[in-house]
Amino acid sequence: MRISRGLIVAILLIVTMAPLALRASEFQEPTAEELKMTSDAAAPGASAVYLYYEEIDNDPVHFRSIYARIKVLTDKGKDLATVELPYLRKEYRITDISGRTIHPDGTVARLTVRPEDLMTAKSGQLEIARKVFTLPSVTVGSILEYRYQIHYDDHHFSSPLWLIQGMYYVHKAHYVFIPFENFMPHASEMSGSRILTDAKGREVRSLVWWYHLPKGVSVVQGVNGYSVDVTDVPPDPDEEYMPPIQSMLYRVFFYYESAANAKEYWESAAKDWSKNVDKFAAGSRAIKVAVAKIVLPGDSDEVKAQKLYAAVQALDNTDYSRARSASEMKALKMKEAKSAADIWKEKSGSSNDIALLYLAMARAAGLKAFAVKVVDRNEALFDPSFMSTGQLDDTLVLVGIDGKGLLLDPGEKMCTFGQVSWTHSDAGGLRQGAKGPGFITTPGQDYSSNLLTRRGDVTLDAQGRMTSYFTFTMRGQMALRWRQKSLESSPDELKKAFEKWIQPMMPQGVEAHVDHFLGLDDSNVYLMAVVKAKGTLGTALPNRLLLPGQFFASRGNEPFVREEKRVAPVDMRYAEEISDDVVYHVPAGFTVEGAPKNVTEMWKGHAEYVVKTQSGGAQIKVDRLLARAFDLAKPDEYQTLRGFYQKAAVADKSMLVLSAAPAGKAN
Amino acid sequence: MPERKGNGVLSRLAGVLALGLCTALPRTSYAKKMQPAPDWALSVAKTPTPDDAKNARAVLLSDGYVITVDTQHHAVERERWAVRILAPEGRGDAHCTVEYNEDAKLDYFRAWTFTTSGRQFQAMATDFKDVGVGGDPDMQFADRFRILNPPGADPGSVVACETERQLEPYLSSEVWQFQLPIPVVDESLELALPPGGHFAVSWSRHPPVEPVKLPNGHLRWEIRSMPALDLASTQAVPAWDALAARMSVKWANAAVDGVANQWREIGQWISELEAHRADPTPEIAAKAQALVAGAPDFYTRLNRITSYVQNNIRYFVVLKGIGGYRAHFAGDIFRNGYGDCKDKTTLLIAMLDAVGLHAYYLLVDTERGVIDPEAPSLYANHMIAAIDLPVGENDPRLMARVKTMGGKELLIFDPTDQETPVGLIRGDLQGAYGDFADGLQSQMIRMPVLAPDSARMTRKGSFLLGADGALSGDLGYTFTGEEAARLRLILKERSAKDVQQIWERSLGTMLPGLSLSGFQFHNPQGLDAPVNLELHLSVPDYGQQAGPLLLVRPRVLGTDARDVPGVMDGEARKYPIELSHPGIWTDSYDIKLPAGYSVDEIPGPVKLDLPFASYRSSVAVKGGVLHFNREYEVKQVEVPAAQATHFRKLEDAIMADEKGIVVLKKD
Repeated sequence: MRISRGLIVAILLIVTMAPLALRASEFQEPTAEELKMTSDAAAPGASAVYLYYEEIDNDPVHFRSIYARIKVLTDKGKDLATVELPYLRKEYRITDISGRTIHPDGTVARLTVRPEDLMTAKSGQLEIARKVFTLPSVTVGSILEYRYQIHYDDHHFSSPLWLIQGMYYVHKAHYVFIPFENFMPHASEMSGSRILTDAKGREVRSLVWWYHLPKGVSVVQGVNGYSVDVTDVPPDPDEEYMPPIQSMLYRVFFYYESAANAKEYWESAAKDWSKNVDKFAAGSRAIKVAVAKIVLPGDSDEVKAQKLYAAVQALDNTDYSRARSASEMKALKMKEAKSAADIWKEKSGSSNDIALLYLAMARAAGLKAFAVKVVDRNEALFDPSFMSTGQLDDTLVLVGIDGKGLLLDPGEKMCTFGQVSWTHSDAGGLRQGAKGPGFITTPGQDYSSNLLTRRGDVTLDAQGRMTSYFTFTMRGQMALRWRQKSLESSPDELKKAFEKWIQPMMPQGVEAHVDHFLGLDDSNVYLMAVVKAKGTLGTALPNRLLLPGQFFASRGNEPFVREEKRVAPVDMRYAEEISDDVVYHVPAGFTVEGAPKNVTEMWKGHAEYVVKTQSGGAQIKVDRLLARAFDLAKPDEYQTLRGFYQKAAVADKSMLVLSAAPAGKAN
Repeated sequence: MPERKGNGVLSRLAGVLALGLCTALPRTSYAKKMQPAPDWALSVAKTPTPDDAKNARAVLLSDGYVITVDTQHHAVERERWAVRILAPEGRGDAHCTVEYNEDAKLDYFRAWTFTTSGRQFQAMATDFKDVGVGGDPDMQFADRFRILNPPGADPGSVVACETERQLEPYLSSEVWQFQLPIPVVDESLELALPPGGHFAVSWSRHPPVEPVKLPNGHLRWEIRSMPALDLASTQAVPAWDALAARMSVKWANAAVDGVANQWREIGQWISELEAHRADPTPEIAAKAQALVAGAPDFYTRLNRITSYVQNNIRYFVVLKGIGGYRAHFAGDIFRNGYGDCKDKTTLLIAMLDAVGLHAYYLLVDTERGVIDPEAPSLYANHMIAAIDLPVGENDPRLMARVKTMGGKELLIFDPTDQETPVGLIRGDLQGAYGDFADGLQSQMIRMPVLAPDSARMTRKGSFLLGADGALSGDLGYTFTGEEAARLRLILKERSAKDVQQIWERSLGTMLPGLSLSGFQFHNPQGLDAPVNLELHLSVPDYGQQAGPLLLVRPRVLGTDARDVPGVMDGEARKYPIELSHPGIWTDSYDIKLPAGYSVDEIPGPVKLDLPFASYRSSVAVKGGVLHFNREYEVKQVEVPAAQATHFRKLEDAIMADEKGIVVLKKD
C-alpha cells in the first residue's frame, strides 16, 4: 500500500532528523573566509556545501533539534533555501523554526514568513504532514542558516538514526544522543528508577549502536551522552549502475534493545520469524487433503516439488492482481488469512502468503522444506548490523531434493520452477535450517539461465529496403519480466510495451511490430515474440549497398562513461547471454564485397563477445554472442569493464558491403 | 496532471494554482454501514460496453454534473460517474478522485462497485485516502486529492462514484473536460441558476451543443459516444490538453456574450485582482533606477531590469486560496527575493514602472495549444509580461513582438524563465495564445513564432583520419537563442561532471570507443551571449576496413533526423507534428584523409525546401580533405497533420543523408 511505504520513509526522516537545540535562538557568526568563499576546493563543482550540521537528540525530555549552516555556491545551490520537514502529525510537533540568510557582504535577512503546515498523505488516523519554509533573499554566495525543534510524546522514547552522508559535502557535523537515563554512558545497571519496555512488552536491557563512519571517527561516550564529531564528509556517490547505495553510506543507528548486541538480536529475531513461519505453515487437514490430490505417493521428490509449485503458482497472486480491501473482506465475511490453509481455501494471497503455502504443502508432501526470507536486491542490500527484520522483503523456499537444496521462488508469479527472480539472487537474509535459523546469501544467477536469442532472415532489395520476421526467444529473467507484464496488461498494451522495448534495438529507419507471442502463459517453456520489421536498412550508393554488419543493437551501444575513480560497484542486476543469428539475403545483381570480421573479445571469468560471419551463395550469416557472467563488478574492475564494452561497440559498427559488380570473396 | 484524467469538470487554475487553506478536514460523509446502491448507479451499471470501446482499458459509462448557483453566485457541484474496467490496466481509471481545499469543500464522496458475479460493494472509509497535491519543493500546494481504492475492482466490474463539493466562491466559471483518455458513453452537465441568472458557454475542440431546458428550469448539455483521446503511443504530438475537447461554462459577471467579450472579461478580472499589487515602493524604484543608470539604449535598460528579476527572484510558492490567482505585493516580493510566476511578473511591472516603462499581465499556458482562442476560460497555468514598446523601437534583438487590436506594440517576456533573454520567448510559448490583461482593452493575443535565426546550434570540426581508420580532432559548438537557453538550464541543474558524462554518453552512441578530452564550456553571464563548447575527440576504427576499401561516414556526429513512429510507417496522421521551436542547425566537418587512398564513391548532395523546414547537405573532397556541410532550418513550431507526408519525405531524406558513406579505395 503506497501510503504505508511513505509513512516508513517519513518516520525514518523524523527519527533521523529530529534533535534538540542547546542554543536554540543562537546562530553562529560567519567568518570572513566563509563570506568570501565562491567555490570549495574540498568539493569541486559543488552547488552548495554544509559548513556545519548539528543534531541533538535528548530522549529523556522527548525533544530534538537541528541546526544547519549551508554555503550556496551556484544557482542550483539556492534550492537548499527551501526546507521541507515531514512529520507524523499526531506523534510529533515541529516548533521554533528560525532561519536567516547572510549575504556575501555580511548583511542579514531573517526568516519572517510563517512556515506552512501542509498535508502530504492521510489514511485513517495516520497523517503525514510537512512544514515548509523558504529563506529570504538568497543569492549565490549566501550562507543559509536555520534551526528547528521536534517534540514528541512524553511517554514515548526513541533512539536516533543519524544519516551522516548525504547529497552535499559536509565540512563539520556534530551529533549528540542523550538516551534514557539507564543507558547513559557509564551508568550503572538499572541506575534509574524506571525501565523501558519494547512493543512486545519486553524489558529493554541495552542501548546498542551500529556505525559506518570515516576512518578515525567513532561514537564517543561522554558524561553528556553519545556523540559523533565528523569533518569533511564527501557527498554520497552518484554513479551509473550503482547497487542500492544506502547501505554503503556513513551512518550511525542507535537501538534500545531487549537484546544485548546484534548477535543476540538476530538470534532472537530469527527464532521469532521461524516460529511465525512454522505457525503459518503448520500442517492441517485441509493442506494434507489438497496435497493428496496433487501428488501421487509414487512421485519422486522432484516431481512432487514441481506439481505443488505449479499448483500454488496457479493461484491468484494479489501482488499481480489486486488485494481485497478491508471493506470488501468484511462484505464477503472473509477474515484475514492466518494460515496456509486459509490461503489455499481462498485460492488467493500475496507473494509471501503463496510462498508460505508452498512451504506448508511441501512439508505435507513429506519434503524437507525451509523458509528463506531475503531483501529485495533492487531496493537494498541486507545488512546484519542493521538490527531490523524490516529490511527483509520476500519469502523463498528451500526444498531438499535428492539430498540437495533447491531454492524456489513460488511467490514470484510466472517464475520458472528451479529459478528465482534476480531481485532474490545474491541477496542476504534469514533461512530456516535443520539446526535452527541463521543467515543466508542466495546464489547469483547463472548467465546460461537468462537467455535472449534474436533470429531472422533479412531479405533486401537493391535500395536496402526490407520486410522481415524475427523471433525474440527468451528464458529466465527476461521471460519472467514479460510474463509478469502480461498479467497486468491487456494483449494490446503488452504488445505496445514490448515494441517500446525492442525499438531501440532496431537499426535506424526500421520499425518493429509484434505479430504474436508464444509461451506467454507457460513458465516451463521458452517465451517467444514474433516480430515484423520493416523499413530501409541500408545505404544505397550508385555501385554499392552498405548495411550494418550487426542488425540489432547490443549493450555496446550504451557506453559506460569515463570515471576517474569509480566508488560504487557496478550493478548489472543479473548475468545473461544475448545471442543474435541474422541471415542477410543478398539482392539479385549484388555480391558480397566486405563483411564483418570474426571477432572474439574475452574478459576472463566475466564476459565474452563473439562475432562469426559465414557467407555463401546469395546469403551471408552473421552470428553474435554477448555473454556476461557477473551481476556485480568491483569498483576497481570498472576500467576493464568499460574497455570490454568499448571493444564490443567498435566491433558492432562493422559494415556489410554489397557490390553491384562482381567482387572478391568476403573475409 | 492526475485531475485531468480522472475528473471531468475542473478549473485548470483551480487545479494548478488556486488552493485553499490547510486547516481542519472537511465534513465529508462516508458510508458507515452497507447501504444499497442508488438507482442511478444500478441503472448505469447495466449500460452495455459499446463495440468500439471493447479494446479500451476502461470505459466511462456515464458522467453527469449538476452545478447549482445560488443568489450570491456561490456554486455547488455534484458529480455522478461510473466506470467499467475492461482490462487489468484499467483499474487505475476506476480510482475515482476528487480535488478539494478549504475554499472548495468536499460535502460527500460515495462509491459502489458492481462485479460481474452480481455482487455489490459499497466503499467504506478505509477505501479512501487523502493525498496532498504533489508539486516540487519550490511549488507547494495546500490542495488535496481524495482518492478511492474501490473494492472489487476487477476487469468487468463497474465502479460508480458520487461526490458533491463547493466551488471556490471567488470564481464564476468551471471547465467541463468531457473528452478523456478512455471512451465515454454518456455525459451531461446541468446548470441550475438562481432566478434571473444568466450564463455563457464556449466550446473547445468540439462543435457547440445546444442545451435542453428541463422542466425544473435547469439547463442540460448532453454528449454521447465521445471517443478516447489516448496519446500514449503517439509521438511528437501537442499537449494532451491542447487536443482534448472541453466546454467552459460561466455565470454571474463572468457570463458575457461573445468570444472577444469573454476574453476581455477575464482580462478585466485579472487587472482588478492585481490592482496596486505592482505599485513600486521607494526601494523598488531606487533599485530599478540604479540598474538603468547609464544605460545607452532601450534594450540595455530593459535587459538590466529583466535580468535582475530573472536572476534575483527565486521561484517559490505555496499555492492556496485566492493566492493561486493574486500576486503578492511587489514590495514583499522584492524584500523576500522569491515568488511565483505572477509575483515575478508583478515585480517586473513595478520595476519597469519605476523607470517610466509600462507592462501588463499576460495569462498563458506553459504548453502551446492549451489556450484555445475560441474558448475563453481560466484554463491556463502561467503568468508572464507584455511590455509596451516605445514607438519606433526597432532593436533587432527584441524579436518577440506582437501588436494588439488597438495598435499597441508589445514585447512578450517571461520573467520566470531564467534562461531566455529579453527579446525572445521559448518554443512552448511561440505561436500560443494568451489573455492580455489591460482593463477594458483586455483581449486575446497570439504570441509570435520567431524567425529561424532566433536559435542556432553550429558544430564545426576538423579531424585527421588514419589509414587504420582512427579519427581524431577538435570540435566546437556554438549555441544561441533557445538552443543556448536549453543548454544553460542543463549547466545550471547538473554538475560539470554530469554534463560531461551526458555528452560523452550521447557522442559515444554515435562514435563507439570514443575518448574525450579538453571538454570546456564557455557560458557567459549575459543571456544574450552565445554558449560555446570545445572538445577534442579520438575514435578508434572510425573508418571501417572492408578489403581494399575504407568506409567513412562524413557526418561525424550529430543527428537532425526525427523518427516519428506511425508517420514514418506511412500511417494517416491525426494530429499536428510538434517541431519544438524554429532554429538553424549547421554541421561543418573537415576530415583529412590518409595518404594512399582515393575516393571511389561519394554521396550526392541533398536539397529539400518545405513550408515548415529545409535541409541542405553536401560532401566534397578537395586536396585530400573531405568536407561535409549541412544546414537544417526549422521555420514553424508544428507541421499540420495534412502535411505529414511532407514531414516523412524530409525525415527520410535526412536519415538517408545521415547514413551516407564515402568509399575510399587504396591506390
